[in-house]
Amino acid sequence: MSEARPLVLVADDEEDILMLVDAVLSGAGFDVLQARDGARAVELVRERRPQLAVLDVAMPELDGLEVMRRVHCDPATANLPIVFLSARAQEADVKRAYELGASKYVRKPFSPRELVSIVSGLLDDV
Amino acid sequence: MPGRLRADNGVVKRSWRQPWLVYLTGGIGLIGLYYALPWNSSAQAFVYDGIGISSAAAVVAGTLINRPTRRLPWYLFAAGLLSFAIGDTIFNVYADILNTSPPVPSAADAFYLAGYPFLAGGLALLILRFDSAQRRAGLVDAAMVTASFALAQWVFVMHGQLQEATSSGEKAIALAYPAMDIVLLSGLAIFFLAPTWRTVSYRFMLASIVLLVVGDEINAVSGYAYVNASWLDSTWLLSYVLWGVAALHPSMTSLSERRPASPPRLTTARFALLAAALLTAPVVYLVQRGRGESVDILAIVLGASVLGLLVLVRMVGLVKALDRLREEERSARTNAEDAHRLIADQNERLREADRLKDEFVALISHDLRTPLTSIMGYLELAMDCAGVDERQYGYLEIVQRNSDRLLNLVNDLLFVARLEAGQLELNWKDLDIAAIARQSVEEAEPRANAKRIELTCFTEEVPLVSSDKGRMFQLFDNLISNAIKFTPDGGKIEVRVTGAAGRVCIEVSDTGIGIASDEQRQLFDRFFRATSARDGQVPGTGLGLYIARAIVDAHGGEISVESTQGSGTSFQVGLPAVPVPLRQVRELVT
Repeated sequence: MSEARPLVLVADDEEDILMLVDAVLSGAGFDVLQARDGARAVELVRERRPQLAVLDVAMPELDGLEVMRRVHCDPATANLPIVFLSARAQEADVKRAYELGASKYVRKPFSPRELVSIVSGLLDDV
Repeated sequence: MPGRLRADNGVVKRSWRQPWLVYLTGGIGLIGLYYALPWNSSAQAFVYDGIGISSAAAVVAGTLINRPTRRLPWYLFAAGLLSFAIGDTIFNVYADILNTSPPVPSAADAFYLAGYPFLAGGLALLILRFDSAQRRAGLVDAAMVTASFALAQWVFVMHGQLQEATSSGEKAIALAYPAMDIVLLSGLAIFFLAPTWRTVSYRFMLASIVLLVVGDEINAVSGYAYVNASWLDSTWLLSYVLWGVAALHPSMTSLSERRPASPPRLTTARFALLAAALLTAPVVYLVQRGRGESVDILAIVLGASVLGLLVLVRMVGLVKALDRLREEERSARTNAEDAHRLIADQNERLREADRLKDEFVALISHDLRTPLTSIMGYLELAMDCAGVDERQYGYLEIVQRNSDRLLNLVNDLLFVARLEAGQLELNWKDLDIAAIARQSVEEAEPRANAKRIELTCFTEEVPLVSSDKGRMFQLFDNLISNAIKFTPDGGKIEVRVTGAAGRVCIEVSDTGIGIASDEQRQLFDRFFRATSARDGQVPGTGLGLYIARAIVDAHGGEISVESTQGSGTSFQVGLPAVPVPLRQVRELVT
């Protein structure tokens, strides 16, 4: 049933990657919400209350870190686990994301299998 | 007392070996002897003449010893002093041998008077070494001092003498001595007002001239009463000795050396001099009025005019010099502003270049990785699909291998870009290099196996190394991948990690194609590829070893290579270990 399939939000401004993550997570048994920008991601989190969010860091206007800040500011969604996907791979970026409350930081390019195991692991913890 | 003085060459010399000190001591001793001897005796006269002649000899000796660049002024001084001494001797011949006062004028007067132009000429020659602007200023200053002195000399000394003199010879002598003092003083004035030399020799000479002029003036004012020995002699005797000392002192050489001109300034001293010059005529007038003498109006008017003119000339010179300085300052400021603008421009351009570089790094980082993310992600999805047959899977594996290569290239370029932008970040931790080596070898095994290469790993227990884990793995991966790449099928690769004397040594050796010895030095250069690598069509960018060296450098270690073409290569890396306290070492051992 639909209750057995965890709801995961995916946000990326790159259509191909959005579809890729959707395909990977759908294939692994998750329900996927797509957001093509940061504002939409915040909106969807508030409306649909996903169990986890996979966010691209570098999105125009509202970037992934800002989306996380807004989501975590809302008491209702303060504990939402967030996985970052980013092509920015410098140590400082990774460190900063963890400091701001990221659950996991995955560098692009990523292995779909690896992403599935990370998302599954985080949802099991919850 | 023989003291100790430090000579120029740093060797301590006994002071009695310094000729100037010997002469000064001896000269003062002789002056003492002069006054100790019976007054107006032949012996006393003999000593007097001896001192005079010795001073001329001392000047010649000093010139020969010290070797100044210009000797002529000094020889003129010697001639002047000798002329005085001959005058003294003739005077004494009259007094002691002929027992009579010399006639006026006598041969002695001729020699005395001849001495002054020599001395003044010598001073003038020394002064010629000034730079022209400074020389002009010095000459005008000297002319003012001379004109003031001449005015006073005329009004208070010469005019009176002239009126008292009976014969024309006496008149001539009455005018000649004060006039000669004016000549000497004019030389001294230039010399004195010249702002540059303040050496020991200069001071001795100054004292000598002042004593000479003072002696002459006292003699003149007292109406040329000099016949016999008196305390007044000490001024002339000391003047002789000090002139000789000035020539013997080593610093005399700097008197004839050109000095860099100091910029002209309107100092209080200069204003005081100009004011004093202007005040001379009124002061002389007031003194004459005060004494109730008839005022020498012609001389005072003449003197005042000449002095006024000279002050004017001097003022013009000062104003011009100041204008020139201001002009120089203005052009210097313009130059500085231009330079400043140029530097600002260049800084702006550098900042722009820096920004472009940062943008380039970001471009590699983001824009190249994003398409690779799609390629590699969808590729993995496709390979996991059930419907792919073995042949298709093989094709996809080739795509995957090449995607990996592309990603590695992107990572390498990113590393180099960051390295050159000074943005290489290292995450320092105390790490066990042996463990990293074992793990790296394990990860490389599938690739080695694919080429049937025997990959072995030997590690000792080694001290920890403060290092960045990711970079250490990258270092091992670069060296091992290189070895696999350049070792033919069926070869051998060995990775060794050993510890020795606070260092951890890594060695990666292979039985590969090797590197020509003349190329080994360039091996760690960016984008360098050995001929054997290019000829063997081994893929690569020439960045691997450059990055390896950069990592080793960043960890304070060193990397080297040994290779024989055709039989194999060995890379050695030395890294400094974290110092371990002795107690911990004992705990580890027991």
